[in-house]
Amino acid sequence: MNQSSLAAVSTFKLPVLPIPHSHPSRNCGNIDNLAIECHNMCYSITTKQGRLKPILKDCSLSIPSGQLWMLLGPNGSGKSTLLKIFAGLLNPNEGFLRVKKPRSFVFQNPDHQVVMPTVKDDVAFGLSKFNLTYDEIRSRVARALDAVGMYDYLQRPVQTLSGGQKQRVAIAGALAEACKVLLLDELTTFLDEADQVGVIKAVKNTLASSEEITALWVTHRLEELEYADGAVYMEEGKVIMHGDASSIMDFIEARQAAYIKQIYS
Amino acid sequence: MFTQLVHAHPSAKLPLPSPLYTVRPSTPPIFKHQFTPNSRTQFFFLQHHHQKLRPFIRCAANSEGVGGNKLNWEKWVPRNFLAADKVFRWISEATSSPIGQYISSPTTFLHSVDSRIKLAWLLVLVVLPARSHISVRFGLVIFLALLSMWMQPKQVWVDQLGRVTLLSGILFIMLGLGTDSAPSLVFSRTPPPSILGLPNLPTSLEGYSYVIMKFGPLQLTRKGLSTASTSACLTFTIFQSASLCLTSTTPEQLAFALQWFIHPLKHLGLPVAEIILTLLLSLRFITLVFDEVRNVALGIVSRRINWQLLTTMETVDVFFTYIRRIFRNIFSHSEQISQAMIARGFRGDCNSHKLFLSAGTSSAMANILSLLCLVGLIGAATWSKYLLS
Repeated sequence: MNQSSLAAVSTFKLPVLPIPHSHPSRNCGNIDNLAIECHNMCYSITTKQGRLKPILKDCSLSIPSGQLWMLLGPNGSGKSTLLKIFAGLLNPNEGFLRVKKPRSFVFQNPDHQVVMPTVKDDVAFGLSKFNLTYDEIRSRVARALDAVGMYDYLQRPVQTLSGGQKQRVAIAGALAEACKVLLLDELTTFLDEADQVGVIKAVKNTLASSEEITALWVTHRLEELEYADGAVYMEEGKVIMHGDASSIMDFIEARQAAYIKQIYS
Repeated sequence: MFTQLVHAHPSAKLPLPSPLYTVRPSTPPIFKHQFTPNSRTQFFFLQHHHQKLRPFIRCAANSEGVGGNKLNWEKWVPRNFLAADKVFRWISEATSSPIGQYISSPTTFLHSVDSRIKLAWLLVLVVLPARSHISVRFGLVIFLALLSMWMQPKQVWVDQLGRVTLLSGILFIMLGLGTDSAPSLVFSRTPPPSILGLPNLPTSLEGYSYVIMKFGPLQLTRKGLSTASTSACLTFTIFQSASLCLTSTTPEQLAFALQWFIHPLKHLGLPVAEIILTLLLSLRFITLVFDEVRNVALGIVSRRINWQLLTTMETVDVFFTYIRRIFRNIFSHSEQISQAMIARGFRGDCNSHKLFLSAGTSSAMANILSLLCLVGLIGAATWSKYLLS
């Protein structure tokens, strides 16, 4: 990419989109209706040279309960960092943050998430922190695996599963904990189209089964936006815009068109 | 054997490429020894011009002629047996599944035996070959081989039995022939009986002989046979019984059985919970290590390195880079897994983070039968020492 096109991308004027009707900030009266809320949140790391490097800059967003939202943006824009802050794995330096609990995080690579050798015991791993009886654990594991369509694989060793199946087991592990917020980091990166649709449908079915569960899904795939209720677009550590999925889709497509036009002009 | 000097032009053997063929490489190589599509052709031309006046010396193994390809013994000699490209290709083509992983179906008799009984069997099979008569040792080997054939799918037992038999066979031959064949460097300080004026030990009237067989300088003695049979049978029973146990028991059931056995040691300060969690994580991690070893080798193979141009030190350097990369990736995996465990509520205290392990479903009949067999085997092995020796 040459310098002029880079400049063209960075100076492209961002459209100011209206806040969607479904967005809670329109009827901001009920704060309990928001599953995730953050204002002016900043996060920075200290480099080896001792310099402070900002990763997230002044991020503000709010996500209503019971919806599936997507978090989009180019590589290095801070999506995964923001998700890890929501999961409590990192602490922000500044700003206000409120996330409903319990919350669960599903990693990009299912091989990192699935820590036990067989399916049922991995799903049960997260339940060990609760004071539950053995029968209760068994029923929760069965329900979670059933929700993602993996009940038949209860006894299977993890290494015999495909990438998509492992990813669904990872989601089941999060669901078994009866979480209210599901934080999903690029689940479909390693998956083919069939597995990708399978995983998205598993998440959608879960959300449909309970109004209390909210999912925030980090993705690079624009076609996944059609399953979302809302979306957030990030760039260079900032939340550029957030709103309903179709507006974000239009915005990204407009940017892509402008970029292509710039290249061929 | 004869030697024939042939003043042959290389072009007589190698067909010249078409004049229409473009020799110039389309792109320069990025790396020093990287494969480029036309580099081979370029190399051919280089050789072609340089070797123009060089005579060929052709050797044949016997008098059946220069062209006697069938009798050329050279082709039977393995060449580049440990060539770097072959090693990496072999690793990259290896299966990612670890040896002896759990096979959920078809469900066999062993699946319905309690994991604790299977663990007891494993322990007994480790102890027995060293403490029993040679016939019991070989009996155990035959029993385990037949059990594997009966219980495991054909592709599993053929592969597993083949490898274990080869290993045990090599051990048997080496120890059997090597135990008494090499002359002892330490001599006895006691003088032989002839010097002391004592008569030699009488020969056995029952045909007893310490040396069983002689193979030139090598000899198979009773001591060698005992050592070889013990080591080979022990190797075979350990590998094969572990394979049978792993293929018919889930890791969690194994962990449950181990926990059940070592739980009393908790009162002596043994960190039982930590040991069990470590065992489970290790069993999960093995597959990741296998995957990583295979994937990094695949990455090296896909670079199409021209190994023939590398010096020995450069080849060794590639191997070290390979090992370094595997370790780096494995440590990265460990870091990610530990982060995932924290995200899933693990706070480092194994006692508060209870793992719900179960023995699984087992059949009472299968349990009783296997326990009776176990007791019978121990009894037979104990009595064999007195009855057969």
